[in-house]
Amino acid sequence: MNSTPRLLNRILIGILGLKLLAVGILLMLLATVPAVGSWWQSWSAGVRDGANRLFDGTTFPGRQESWLWIVLSLVLVLVIGLVVAWVAQQGKGRSGLLLAAEDPGGVPGDVRIGSGVAEQSLKNALAERPDLASATVSTYEVRGQPALKIRLHPRSGVAPHLLAEDASALVAALDEVVGQKTPVLVHIAAGARTRFSRAERVR
Amino acid sequence: MRRVLHRETHSSRAAAAGIAAVLVVLVSLYALLESAVRAIGQPPWLIDPQSAAERIVALPSGVPPLLLGVTGAVVTAAGLFFFLSAILPGRRARHLLEEPRVAVVVDDEVIASALARRARLAANVTPEQVMVVVSQRQAVVNVRPTSGVPVSENAVREAVEDELRAMAPIPLPAVRVNLAESGVIGA
Repeated sequence: MNSTPRLLNRILIGILGLKLLAVGILLMLLATVPAVGSWWQSWSAGVRDGANRLFDGTTFPGRQESWLWIVLSLVLVLVIGLVVAWVAQQGKGRSGLLLAAEDPGGVPGDVRIGSGVAEQSLKNALAERPDLASATVSTYEVRGQPALKIRLHPRSGVAPHLLAEDASALVAALDEVVGQKTPVLVHIAAGARTRFSRAERVR
Repeated sequence: MRRVLHRETHSSRAAAAGIAAVLVVLVSLYALLESAVRAIGQPPWLIDPQSAAERIVALPSGVPPLLLGVTGAVVTAAGLFFFLSAILPGRRARHLLEEPRVAVVVDDEVIASALARRARLAANVTPEQVMVVVSQRQAVVNVRPTSGVPVSENAVREAVEDELRAMAPIPLPAVRVNLAESGVIGA
């Protein structure tokens, strides 16, 4: 429901996993197979010499240190910034508007209904039920359109299809009030609160 | 809505992404510190990059092989965790319900507890004697009857199947009932 970048997550996690796998297998081979050790020493020495030449060729005039260190620092700052931006994308996508439409009547202006209207009314309608441990309603933006997510935590033993029917009826009533059919997702969830709460005995 | 339902029944890997990000940021911060210290010509904090490179080049020597092997195993395991969570489908333990107005996803645990309630009423036992495990294609009902009171397997199966038919989760799991050989005393 939220706009977590899932494909990006998979790609980046996959790249990191492959790199860690390669490093780990190399370390294990180095520890166990002597032939890999001699190959590694000759190969990595070549890489190191190349890097050393590069650093020696890029020193400041009149100074000993290479300006590549500064470039490296800047690149690392950039990497950290990108990673932080990536994490900030997780779980985003909440919206504050349930409806924004132009008023077709004679009065100039348009109509906006905040998401609090749907959230509060649905929550209040569900709050009294004895077969629910808790209910939360939130609004997300899915492809530019507002959509509601109703999360219900039933007590143990409650039949989910009856709950879904009741939620559906509530949403139909909300449609009447708002005058627009909002896409709705009902998630009937289990959690610590439902597991340890007493069983519903009335129904 | 179909896309939303797919997203709701599959993991977003946000947790793995968070762990990966923390790892990358920590390593980058340390490398940043050492290279910045090097750039302004100060003494290194833990190890300066040049001697770190020397140590890595000389690798099998300089470190006990056991330590090296264990480090490699740990790194491999971490890599496997990230790689597998990236390529596996990551299906969550949830089912869909058909409802005309709203889209419904249900955690398997909720289905299991509803089925357990029906099975318990059909078998006339206490809640502790029934355990139901629901997976994508199967619902396993384990009943431990009270000692001396017979439980009809068919009655339990019919009750559970009736409940499942009314619920109609997608995909519909097949019911399997296991009656325990030994009963519970004094329940």
